[in-house]
Amino acid sequence: MNDNNSNVVLTGMKDGQAGIIVSVTGGHHATKRLADLGLSPGTRIRLMRKALFSGPVQVDVNGSRLVLGWGLASKIIVRPE
Amino acid sequence: MNSNRKINIVLAGQGNAGKSALFNFLTGLHQHIGNWAGKTIEKREGTLFYNGYTIDVLDLPGIYSLTTYSVEEVISREYIIHHQPDCVVNIVDSTNLERNLIFTLQLLELECPVVVALNMMDLSKKKGITIDIEKLQKILNIPVIPTIASRGTGLTDVMDEVIELRGKEIHHKPLKYGKEIESSVRQLSELLHDTDLPYPVRWIAIKLLEKDKDTTRLVQERDPSIVEKAMLLCRKLEDIHGHDSGIVIADERSHLASWIIREIVEISPHRKISLNEKLDAITTHKFTGYLVMILIVGGMFLTVFSFGNWLSEWFDSVFRNWSAWWDQNLGTGFVPALGWAATESVLALIQIAFPYILPFYIILYILEDWGYIARISFLMDKFMHRLGIHGKACISFIIGLGCNVPGCLSCRIMESKRERFITAVLVTLVPCSAVSVIVFGLVGKYVGLLWALGLYVFAMIIILIVGRITSKLMVGEPVELIMPMPDYKTPQIKTILVQTWDALKEFIYIAAPIVIVTGVLIHAIDLAGWMPAISSALNPVTVYWLGLPAVTGILLIFGILRKELILVMLASYLGTTNFGDALTSQQMITLAVVSMFYVPCVATISVLWKEYGWKKAMAVCIIEILFAIALAGIVKRILDFVF
Repeated sequence: MNDNNSNVVLTGMKDGQAGIIVSVTGGHHATKRLADLGLSPGTRIRLMRKALFSGPVQVDVNGSRLVLGWGLASKIIVRPE
Repeated sequence: MNSNRKINIVLAGQGNAGKSALFNFLTGLHQHIGNWAGKTIEKREGTLFYNGYTIDVLDLPGIYSLTTYSVEEVISREYIIHHQPDCVVNIVDSTNLERNLIFTLQLLELECPVVVALNMMDLSKKKGITIDIEKLQKILNIPVIPTIASRGTGLTDVMDEVIELRGKEIHHKPLKYGKEIESSVRQLSELLHDTDLPYPVRWIAIKLLEKDKDTTRLVQERDPSIVEKAMLLCRKLEDIHGHDSGIVIADERSHLASWIIREIVEISPHRKISLNEKLDAITTHKFTGYLVMILIVGGMFLTVFSFGNWLSEWFDSVFRNWSAWWDQNLGTGFVPALGWAATESVLALIQIAFPYILPFYIILYILEDWGYIARISFLMDKFMHRLGIHGKACISFIIGLGCNVPGCLSCRIMESKRERFITAVLVTLVPCSAVSVIVFGLVGKYVGLLWALGLYVFAMIIILIVGRITSKLMVGEPVELIMPMPDYKTPQIKTILVQTWDALKEFIYIAAPIVIVTGVLIHAIDLAGWMPAISSALNPVTVYWLGLPAVTGILLIFGILRKELILVMLASYLGTTNFGDALTSQQMITLAVVSMFYVPCVATISVLWKEYGWKKAMAVCIIEILFAIALAGIVKRILDFVF
């Protein structure tokens, strides 16, 4: 569906889809907090599932699972694999 | 005491890494262990006697990073820097190694002696993760000991390393970042050598590049030219990388951690989808997730209420004759009567604590230790956002349905002061088990079950509205949910019992004094014969505005002690429990609405007081009284059309 280089926001991926984080566009505070948790550009991330109605998303980053609020997740730009 | 044989250590690590379990095992002191990341805020200390050494252990709050985001992180960082413990034991979750290593790298920057306890080795083995510990030691240049803290495995080895490390000269061999960063760090370090700051020079340099506010201010006071230089270097880094220098460094650290992982970790690729993953998929699923949640939470309340009602009735039958016995043997004078008021308050507390709060906590902690509570936060995050807070607050609400006191206490899991306060205010509006007694005993029994359930829906709507208003009024940005999703694991009985006991103790410590004092005070007013005067003073509100019998004024005053007293005292006033004879349906619903919202009970007020100061506690009480009266009056007028 996407040509090789089209980036999407994390919340735009399908359940189970994986990709490499390209950038994080959120505010300084949130971006840094994410980086401290290991979510920085270049990291492989897998969207495990989204909750109902733009709820939070559950992701897998190198085997550790995190839940991110929708607002935050929609600021993470990913290049799908 | 020989000071040579005294060692002080601190435990530091991210939430969920097993720090509290380790602390309990070392010191034998009871402490809260949980699945919520970053839950412990209080400072916990203990002492361990080992091999002839006296080891003081301090448990630092569970944290993500040593950059200052939250109170906990400031506490931890300041403690390590200023108190210079003999050793920092860094508990690392081996199943989430990468995320945890980022924190370890930050600790190493503080240049304090560190021993890593590589924890949950059993779980990582189960997940098919193999870790080359030798190599990790070599890369980090510090001792790394494999442990299973929940069983105590490896902890003596950790202590042996701590003792071994003591008094040894430590050669810090910092792990290097990218070239541009290292060059900036070097330039700043040279300038910083002459300042008298009590921190490692390299650490200050890195913090300046991260634009850490506290550090920048400290350096600014000493030598503003260094800060200028730092800003220049920051801009240079930002030009190269295209984003904020603080994030550049955080990213570098994260990449360093990934590199270490690639060097030392092997994950066996072909493993079956584990039970854990299946369970996770079902319990967070868009449809089955909510179904399971309703079943679990519903089952929890059904169990608690049926057990609670049974035990409460048993207590009633035991305590029934005590009042008469007291009057007979001690007389009915003013002092014995007040003595009875105090005793009655204690009995009332027992009747809440054991039948309702105890089983409630046990089930809650089973769910928590199992790992389920985080799933509820995930499922409910969206709804909670409508209230201006995030999914974790849902836990406080569920607890609040049992009792508002632990509900308000649990607001500590929220990250910011703003979130904590909003959640606490909303929890006071959640109908607790005592309010449920009124709703079901009055409305449910005499007006209809649907009406009673309708009142719960009504309460939800009110909470939604109040949530929206308070989050608009409180300054500050709402915090987004960032929460590690724990794996399901077998609940440990010992952990659950320790947690339950701690929570119950906290409830009693906080609630008991104020419940007893207020109980005595209200009875004193009653004995002095002032109640009728107060009640008639309240007439304009109770009789004219709410359309209730005059006696409700007194009931509502006693209800501050314990809300179900409203019903109990109404029965004794009427001389019957057949409320249908004395109150109309409309009056019952109005009374239930007032009881739900009019003021948190004294025990809850005392928590608000302790956590947020008396000003905020009083403000909440006064606003809620006015709000409840206004609301119930409107409800009455609407009901005029219905009945």
